Amino acid sequence: MSGGNSKNKGRSKRHEGWEEAGGEFYQELYPGGEQELFENLQRADAAKLATLLPSKQARNTTTVKRGRSQNERRQSTYARTTQSRDIHLAMMPDLSENLSNEERTWEEIMQIKAMPVPMLQKRELKARLQNATKLRLQGFENIHWQQRKVWHRFRVRFGEIIGKLELWQSPMREIEGTFGTGVVSYFLFLRWLLFLNLVISLFVTLFLILPKTILVETQHTCSDYEANSTVCCSQYYFEKNVTDSNIVLDVIQGTGWMEMTILFYGVYSNEIYTYFLNGFWETQMYYNMPLAYILVPISWAVLSLVAIVKAGAKGFKEKLVESEGQLYKYCNLVFGGWDFCIQHEKSANIKHKALFNEIKVCLEEERIKEEKQLRTRESEILLYLRRLLINLIVLVILIASGFLIYVAFNYSVDRLGTGSSEQSDVKVDNTYVNRTFERLTISRLRFNQNAGVLGLYRENSFFEQLENTLLEFLPFICIVMLNLIVPEVFNQLISFENYTPARVVIVTLLRTVLLRLSSLAVLMSQIYMYITVNGIICSLENKDPNRLECWETYVGQQLYKLVLTDFAIQFVTTFLINLPRAFIARHSSSKCLKMLGEQDFSLPKHVLDIIYVQTIIWMGAYFCPFLPIIGTIYYFLIFYVKKFTCLVNCTPSPVVYKASKSKSLFMSVLFLGFVISIGPVAYSVAELLPSLNCGPFRGYDTVWSYVIETFDRFPFFFREIVFLLGTSVFAVPAFVVLLFFLYYYWALAAANRHMVAVLKNQLVLEGHDKQFLLNRLSAFIRQHQKRCERRNRASFADDDSSIRQSSR
Amino acid sequence: MGQGKSQFTEEELQDYEDLTYFTKKEVLYAHQKFKALAPEKVGHNKNAKLPMSKILQYPELRVNPFRDRICKVFSSSNDGDCTFEDFLDMMSVFSDMAPKAVKAEHAFRIFDFDGDDMIGVSDLREVIERLCGPEHKLTDSEIQQLIQNVLEEADLDDDGALSFAEFEHIIDKSSDFCHSFRIRL
Repeated sequence: MSGGNSKNKGRSKRHEGWEEAGGEFYQELYPGGEQELFENLQRADAAKLATLLPSKQARNTTTVKRGRSQNERRQSTYARTTQSRDIHLAMMPDLSENLSNEERTWEEIMQIKAMPVPMLQKRELKARLQNATKLRLQGFENIHWQQRKVWHRFRVRFGEIIGKLELWQSPMREIEGTFGTGVVSYFLFLRWLLFLNLVISLFVTLFLILPKTILVETQHTCSDYEANSTVCCSQYYFEKNVTDSNIVLDVIQGTGWMEMTILFYGVYSNEIYTYFLNGFWETQMYYNMPLAYILVPISWAVLSLVAIVKAGAKGFKEKLVESEGQLYKYCNLVFGGWDFCIQHEKSANIKHKALFNEIKVCLEEERIKEEKQLRTRESEILLYLRRLLINLIVLVILIASGFLIYVAFNYSVDRLGTGSSEQSDVKVDNTYVNRTFERLTISRLRFNQNAGVLGLYRENSFFEQLENTLLEFLPFICIVMLNLIVPEVFNQLISFENYTPARVVIVTLLRTVLLRLSSLAVLMSQIYMYITVNGIICSLENKDPNRLECWETYVGQQLYKLVLTDFAIQFVTTFLINLPRAFIARHSSSKCLKMLGEQDFSLPKHVLDIIYVQTIIWMGAYFCPFLPIIGTIYYFLIFYVKKFTCLVNCTPSPVVYKASKSKSLFMSVLFLGFVISIGPVAYSVAELLPSLNCGPFRGYDTVWSYVIETFDRFPFFFREIVFLLGTSVFAVPAFVVLLFFLYYYWALAAANRHMVAVLKNQLVLEGHDKQFLLNRLSAFIRQHQKRCERRNRASFADDDSSIRQSSR
Repeated sequence: MGQGKSQFTEEELQDYEDLTYFTKKEVLYAHQKFKALAPEKVGHNKNAKLPMSKILQYPELRVNPFRDRICKVFSSSNDGDCTFEDFLDMMSVFSDMAPKAVKAEHAFRIFDFDGDDMIGVSDLREVIERLCGPEHKLTDSEIQQLIQNVLEEADLDDDGALSFAEFEHIIDKSSDFCHSFRIRL
């Protein structure tokens, strides 16, 4: 009788009653077991009875059996008890019944690697399997198997190539060695963002930037059109004298000559390019630039969304599994606590300490929970009042910082505005130099023909220029400074609130996210107001240099500046502030200085840094198509900056970051950023009037109206289908079907949950039963042994007496 | 690399590739690492048996609180001394490609200090003490509390120890385990 057979029996009879099947099952598995067992029992110490249980026996048997059992476990959910003594038989192909074919042998070889046996035995096993007689596969099966083999080989090769291409492998390893997996997950996230931006930039380059640079625009002359037409306006806009100011300043502000480059929305054409391909019989080809310009942002938005959801769903699934086992906190801590990849003595010490703290905190939390129940009403009310107060303070700080940004923005706009109105005065008397007063600068340039070095020729204007630049950057500097200072304040505040440590991380993160995104929102709303007031005007009629002629480019410039500022600040804080601090901490003996200098790698802050930039990139990529490319470069550089921060400036954090939890957290925050950034862009696409002078949508009411117009030119059939999808005839049934599926999966999950509970209960009961039976058995054995002894003694006594009798 | 190649036949490499979670190149790389631990010995005999103290010089193992257990579990002679094949097995189990079940099996053996096929109270105590390191000592009552909590969570059948099935169950639920039970080659 083979193991498989008995297995089936056991399975089929499961419902009829365990005793019956079990008995038979037992008989089969352990032939002559009863006798042997009894002997064993006789010999065994009652306390070690448990080691005689079949499940234990199975784990203790020889390694080959164990290995086999591994396979079986994987193939069937049937538990370890199925292992039997005929494993050796099963191991060797049974010639009479199922002669294994090549494919099965191969599969088995592939499974050897999972066995917990030394290599020597594995090799023996493999050799035995290879040498065993096996059937040749025929026909279709053979082809199928060959395909599988090729596919497998291909996958291995492919994996190798991918592994080679993997970016930053050795830095990752280094970071992992010192900081553990939690921090590495941050760097993996950074790399993920880099690749996301790379893909987006690829889209943008292929469909916007390349066509724009390669294809030739048809030139329209204004004289053929009405004076007020978009052609005239844009022609005037493009031919306007470009402000000639400092090139460096132009580059960092995106103004001047930069404004007219492919960096910004403005220059993209509104025409459908026509070109000829010589190879294809002179066919005429079209490239619809405006349509591309709207489809590309839509496609990268969808792509980003899918990527986030896909990456997040993985984390979410893990979280779901875990949330059921919030219960498994301690096991996680004890069995998954150590990062096996840590390789430095110092980090190991810190990790020891971190784990020690975490354990303490966990136990503490338990105590707090108990205390909570004991907490008096008064102290509870006091605590809530305190929390309320602090939340109010946080709210006030948030509003204040929003207001500060608002003021800063207005101030800078006002000052710059007055600067330019002065400019018009200057035009009149021509006495002194002003930054943006182009004509004068040009004349001065002519004056100093030989002044090769830029900036030298304008010494007295330099400071004014600097001042103006500072003013232009004021809102951004303000935002960045707030982002630096306010989180520290929040950190101090939260210590008064008595939250649990896990909660502290989430609450701080939430507040900081709110700060960052709200500051961004204030900036956007400011820009919006500015646009609506000064926005749309034809360049021809524009006499006021302060008015925007291409507001989309203006928005692009603002966000471009924001990204640059952010990078500069990252760079400066890392190398000019934190590096000296770390240096002080390392080389000074004074405690105070050490306190000042020491910094630990606090994950939430750094995560926010990069998510914030991604938000800006999403927001700006429509207005400044170059932004994803800049973002790619930004992430590439920031990786090294952050690595430097991590390895040189910081010491490992005393807080244990869990790799598993952090990923889903990152993704949810990123998703928040995505929603917030796509909102304004979508609004501007759907509602705002595009500029008259520039961009692909000049002359349309909204960007979306162009899409609708294009759609109307589609074939009738196609339009009908899309309309049908929008009507209730389609939507209602679809909705119902979806609901039905939802309900089905919900019911399935509920049933499974119920089943799990039942099985768990059963397991506990079985465990108790086992315990009970073992106790009874050991008691019985003890009794039996005593009786035996007594009998022996009695028989001795008998013997003695009989001897005595006989001797008499 | 060429030097490494000369030490193995193609057949051996194929065997290693089939029987571990590594590709041939990774096997050779692993051998380089192994060789770096004791160049003179391994240069002589590619599958030389290195004493545990040598193996423990591998950076990740050096600071690992369970280092001696790891060596013992993977050692084919069960005394902690490892040949290259044992080392390869070890790295294969710790690699990213190894499935959770395989890792769990070995983790169970690593954590089972007394070898009774159950992670009992004494094993748990040992694990916890090693986790916290020699400098940080939890008080006795804290350890007891922790052990009790762990058993409460995981000991489904209430027998005061974790059997393999129970251990595997926890590992299945723990997403951290896979991240942390890993050594990059």
